[in-house]
Amino acid sequence: MNPAAEGTVYPDVTFVVDPVRVAAFRQVFGAAAGVPPTFVTAAEFAAFPQVLGDVNLALDFSRVVHGSQDYDFARPIREGETLTVRARIDSIRTKSTNGFLAIVMELLDADGELVCTARSQMIERGAAG
Amino acid sequence: MSRSFDAVEIGQELPVASRTVTAVDVKAYADAGGDQNPLHQDDAFARSVGFPGVIAHGMFTMGHMASAVVAWAGDAAAVTRISAQFRAPVFMGEVIEAGGRVKALDPGTRSVTLETWVRLRRDGAVEWPIKKGEAVVRLS
Repeated sequence: MNPAAEGTVYPDVTFVVDPVRVAAFRQVFGAAAGVPPTFVTAAEFAAFPQVLGDVNLALDFSRVVHGSQDYDFARPIREGETLTVRARIDSIRTKSTNGFLAIVMELLDADGELVCTARSQMIERGAAG
Repeated sequence: MSRSFDAVEIGQELPVASRTVTAVDVKAYADAGGDQNPLHQDDAFARSVGFPGVIAHGMFTMGHMASAVVAWAGDAAAVTRISAQFRAPVFMGEVIEAGGRVKALDPGTRSVTLETWVRLRRDGAVEWPIKKGEAVVRLS
């Protein structure tokens, strides 16, 4: 990873909270109703290809494991609504041979109001040996 | 309708929710969540990057933790915050248990802070894929 990519803001991505997909997600976790809070990950993965494809960042996804995740909701997500996902690189750190990438994504509703802030830390593990 | 705030006390424990992690469930999770990293589906790939076999997504483990929180709160919409650090891998066939306890109460917003965790037993020892998770739920 390139530490100079810290602060990068990616173009907004649109994510529709598809009820069929929410139902599939619920089924995985045996949930009866509603939008599971961690369904936000699906919105993150709508914007994540931009991070993966960022040649300036040069992240090697094959060596990435998930370090931590935090979701902060201003309000619950509603099935069927369209959200805007705004992703940025909050920080990039290196410790030993591992790289630590902190990504913040904001989910905004049709009125531009914040619905959820998703903070994740990805660890790019150093090459074996 | 969520659980009533008035009946909640500090120290109260969530019922422990256990499930066996299977490749079928992890594939279903990858399709629903959108993370198709081969680390979670391809044993040969997982070995090539230093794991003994495929591991579950951290978000699979956190999703299980979240479902335990939602089941206790009684409403997915009650969750205003949830967080986890992923500390240990989870392999296929392992049984993960999610639980938690009430850590703090905020009568002003009728919100409850839960400390949450996911554990498993491996080779006679207890591992903590999530040791210090946290969730805040706003109750009725």
